[in-house]
Amino acid sequence: MRWSSPLGAVVLVAGVLSAGAYVVAVLDVALGRLTAAGHLRLRHALRQPLDETALLLLTRPSRTERPDAQAWALAPALLGAMAAAAVATVPLGRGIAVADVADGIVLFGAAMAMVMVAVYLHGWSANSPMPLLGGYRFIALALSYEMPLALVLIAAALPAESLSVGAIVASQHDLWNVVRQPLGLPLYLIAGAGLAFWGPLDTADGPDLAGGTTAEVSGPSRVAWELARRFVLVAVAVMGAAVFLGGWQGPMLPGPAWMALKTLVLLAGLVWMAHRVARVRLERFVVVAWTVLIPLALVDVFVSGAIAL
Amino acid sequence: MIRSGTVDIAFWMFSAGSVVAAWLVFRTDSMVRAAYWLLASFAGVGALMVLLNARFLGLVLVLMMAGEMTIMAVFMVMFMMNPAGLNPMTMVHQHRTAKIAGVFAFAGLALVGLVADFPDRPADARRDPTSDLGRELLGDSMLVFETAGVTLLATMIGAIAIASKRGRYGDAEQGSAPPALEEKPPEPAGMEH
Amino acid sequence: MTLQALLVVGAALFGIGVYGALSQQTFVMIMMGLELMLNGAMLAAVAFWAMSSGGAPKGQLLTVIIMTVMAVEAAIGFALIIGIYRIRKADMTEKLKRLRA
Repeated sequence: MRWSSPLGAVVLVAGVLSAGAYVVAVLDVALGRLTAAGHLRLRHALRQPLDETALLLLTRPSRTERPDAQAWALAPALLGAMAAAAVATVPLGRGIAVADVADGIVLFGAAMAMVMVAVYLHGWSANSPMPLLGGYRFIALALSYEMPLALVLIAAALPAESLSVGAIVASQHDLWNVVRQPLGLPLYLIAGAGLAFWGPLDTADGPDLAGGTTAEVSGPSRVAWELARRFVLVAVAVMGAAVFLGGWQGPMLPGPAWMALKTLVLLAGLVWMAHRVARVRLERFVVVAWTVLIPLALVDVFVSGAIAL
Repeated sequence: MIRSGTVDIAFWMFSAGSVVAAWLVFRTDSMVRAAYWLLASFAGVGALMVLLNARFLGLVLVLMMAGEMTIMAVFMVMFMMNPAGLNPMTMVHQHRTAKIAGVFAFAGLALVGLVADFPDRPADARRDPTSDLGRELLGDSMLVFETAGVTLLATMIGAIAIASKRGRYGDAEQGSAPPALEEKPPEPAGMEH
Repeated sequence: MTLQALLVVGAALFGIGVYGALSQQTFVMIMMGLELMLNGAMLAAVAFWAMSSGGAPKGQLLTVIIMTVMAVEAAIGFALIIGIYRIRKADMTEKLKRLRA
């Protein structure tokens, strides 16, 4: 099957995203139990996400007074579509890519910028205070993490002398970017947690806001939103594995297996962080992002540029 | 001239979508929808730019506008005090003049586009336009590029100076005309902070 | 996709922008009209670059400049809106009969 054909593209992207979302859910239950109770039950972890999804699907959809119904329905679809577009740019093995286009990193950046639109729409269209506050919180968060995210991706593209994700993977044949640019991956993961409003940065949908943008959502649309949010997390991990961990390159195992392994490591790291690190207050994160993370990302760009020369 | 069935269909879809979205910006009753229809219009133009092989610029346009339009939506909600933004909000003046001016602008420009004889020299599809742009920005046109950068820096400083509440010599409101809508009650003596 | 068709689309965007900038009363909506005008101009610039200039890199540079203008317009526009709101509590053009402070 040609992966760039319409059918191949749908199969590949949908397969990666849904498998990734399930893995995230399982890891979430397993690591949550491990940190809380000190042990884990694998069968419980494998079943719990499916049970919860089935329960949510049977729940009656809630309604609010005069919501913007179309925008409300559009938000999860937009979020999921942007995650799919981001995944499509990444080669998952030698020659296995839906659209390893020449400006792949820019396409990833544009898709991830649209995440802000999706989350704000989701919060705003419910016509209810808590979701709206969640939407505002996400804008503040997004404006803070976007610069470090863009800068570390630019730094990663410098040694490859190309904006294509495939070329960035190929440029790590001898040395992975995680070693060459030690600042890159940690900054990327912080920004990635913000992108999926995950872990310590989940203030947009956080329990401290009665669920934030999801406060008024239940039933199938809640399932769609939670899935789309996990799709974004998977897209972040897939891109991180390709850009910082050498992508599909590795000894012995075939390319896709290496890619899956590296993505799994990053996903496990992100989910683990969510359970181990306390939720960060937004104003603190904004200050840290603008005074610490952006300068660090700039240092990353300058040093990478000097080395690439 | 670029000829291909798929490209033509995509062209008509994106241009029709872009123009309709632009029209809906001024025809919707919701502030957030207005901002995001404008974003849709920009995304359509971004897609047209990608079709024209200016891929980097098209994607950067979408990247830039996603943030800008969200901020625009927030500003609308902030200043119009209409949290859900679903009440009627048609607020126009000189409607007739504006319509006529819009039609004239369109007709004039379209006429020039249709009548004038522009050279037919399509870009070389084998060249990488992104790399061309990069070499141009850091080569011959570096001065132009740097001027744009310095302009943006000056803009940032100026915008902060205009928008900041407290200046070096006290509150920004001091020394200006009293507020048009509400008068501040005089502060009682001895309550200074 | 021809140069003429692209120019007509650009002209349509520009025309709608002119209508919006002239007819709207809210500052933010006026800014949306201005952005639409720049949007049409940008489409025309890219169309000329791709179809009429033989792909001269300076054509793309013009688009970068238009994007810079958009960013400057947005930043200064928002700053002025905040400034005027602070001083006059105004969010519409009709509330600004006098330009002097």
